[in-house]
Amino acid sequence: MSGGRRRLYLGSLVALLLLLLVPFGVQNSYYLQVLFRIFVFAALGLAWNLVGGYAGQLSLGHVAYFGVGAYAFTLLVRDLHWNPWWSVLGGVGFSVVAALLIGSITFRLRGPYFTLATIATAEILRLLVLNLKDLTGGAVGLPTPALFAGASTDRAFYAAAVLLAAVAYALNLWADRSRFGYYLMAIREDEDTAMAVGVNPARTKLLALLPSAAITSLAGSLYASSFHYIQADYIFSIDISNQAAIVAMLGGAGTALGPVLGSVILTTASELFKEVFQTAHLLIYGILIILVVLFLPGGVIGFFGRRSRRRAQREPGPFAGSLSGEEGSPRHSSSSST
Amino acid sequence: MVILQTVLNGLLTGGLYALIGIGMAVVFGVMRIVNFAHGALVMVGMYAAYFAFTLLGINPYWGWLLAALALFALGWLLYRGLVRPVMGQSDFMQILLTTGIWLALVDLAQLLFGADYRQINLAMANAVVRVGTLRLSAGYLLSFAVAAVVIGLVYVVLYRTELGRDIRAVAQNRDVAPLMGIDVERVSAAAFGLGAACAGAGGALLLPLFYLYPTVGDPLLLRSFVMVVLGGMGSVEGAALGGLILGVAEGLTGYFWTDSYSQVVDFVLFLAILLLRPSGLLGRQRA
Repeated sequence: MSGGRRRLYLGSLVALLLLLLVPFGVQNSYYLQVLFRIFVFAALGLAWNLVGGYAGQLSLGHVAYFGVGAYAFTLLVRDLHWNPWWSVLGGVGFSVVAALLIGSITFRLRGPYFTLATIATAEILRLLVLNLKDLTGGAVGLPTPALFAGASTDRAFYAAAVLLAAVAYALNLWADRSRFGYYLMAIREDEDTAMAVGVNPARTKLLALLPSAAITSLAGSLYASSFHYIQADYIFSIDISNQAAIVAMLGGAGTALGPVLGSVILTTASELFKEVFQTAHLLIYGILIILVVLFLPGGVIGFFGRRSRRRAQREPGPFAGSLSGEEGSPRHSSSSST
Repeated sequence: MVILQTVLNGLLTGGLYALIGIGMAVVFGVMRIVNFAHGALVMVGMYAAYFAFTLLGINPYWGWLLAALALFALGWLLYRGLVRPVMGQSDFMQILLTTGIWLALVDLAQLLFGADYRQINLAMANAVVRVGTLRLSAGYLLSFAVAAVVIGLVYVVLYRTELGRDIRAVAQNRDVAPLMGIDVERVSAAAFGLGAACAGAGGALLLPLFYLYPTVGDPLLLRSFVMVVLGGMGSVEGAALGGLILGVAEGLTGYFWTDSYSQVVDFVLFLAILLLRPSGLLGRQRA
């Protein structure tokens, strides 16, 4: 293990411990709730980053796993009387199965076809949940089970979010440095070349989606429980998919620290300018996306980071250069040639 | 008989879809960009026609012209200002950019006009036309007829004018077109404007039939894409056919199942066509 790597791991561990100590210093429940949101959305962005950042697959349907997690968690407690924490894990199971199904369909598609397919699958789920009124409460929604109770609820939620973000961060670090992560990046840079050198893009992308969906599902359950209530239009809202992507892109997609930074910036800004954000959060998201694409394709990290070695792509961000060759063909080239 | 009625109603809606889908097909054909703001542009067109009606008293069946012109200008500006810089970049960035435009437009409408549902009341749109035992809405018939005329106009522009020839040349080969003396940037801006104008005209013609609110265009983004995919990417005739198919499919779903599932059917159709027949119904496989 190189010195730099050891420093990174050690630093991350110290940061995690410090973050877990925060509730002992901060008693104000409002601040704890803001911090909770920062880390839930960091986890969401980090989860998205595995697929969108490292593998370069622009998913705008990650809310599918968020919503499946939230609803499965709620329904397992309500109908099967499972323990809430087992139900959260059950939700992960459902989300992973959903990811297997959705991934095996959508990953056969490329570029805009893939993105629209992810939106379509998330929308199908939203409409199904909205229409299966007996099970899901339809447009009225459902109360969610409590994961924590008592006086220190805010602290517990905060700690859970930090731990979740830490796990997601560790997965990103792994993607940053492992052979598997290099496969993902190879697919991002040029899928055909990646295939030519022996990477199986369909399988690799699916393997990246599974942990991504699991983390997203956990974030969904956590968020649902903290919110006390879920409703299809809200918990399956495309806003959440967009937010996952924005958080990652803003901080720097394809880097482990990027989504964390992005969530800190976006969530803090949305709290500071609450009035503005409440009335115009989509407008701000929209303008942010446009600005990031036009002026900051590598995110904040790409802008400030002289990130040495592998990320030495200088000017354009990790995505700007990869001009995909055959935009006319919606399918993966292997499937059309066989 | 009820089925025939359902199919006819579906065709009438489908004609409007077709106009909107053609707009996306033109943009995709020329620029190879899937414009994720397309549904939002339909919404802008609806608001344009709405205010033309409420403020100036212009009937949407004429107001579509205004909406189309306004949207042509908006499309042109969007291309020049925002889309052009990402033309050479990965589709990842192009999709993100147009998604940003989509979100910004929808929320801008929300800020300016509020989330209220609006509606215009046109006596002639509410009338019912009887043909034998069939009952057809005059509003749908009128909108369909005008949409057919607009589609005809787009066809004339594309196949009978110099601009149209340039657009088709760029669509065929973006690298060779400039060698023939075609100003690709101008043609691209015009094509983006033309696509937006179709969306705007489509929106104006939807106005007498649907409620208007800021997110009204969102389902139309996916629908447009379904049409474009159904018809074969970039094929204008294909997109028009795709619109009719979609309208009928939705109508039949509403009849046999419930209306709330008709969108599910859109999406399933979309996934199925992409996976089973990616070159579309009329499309040739582009290699």
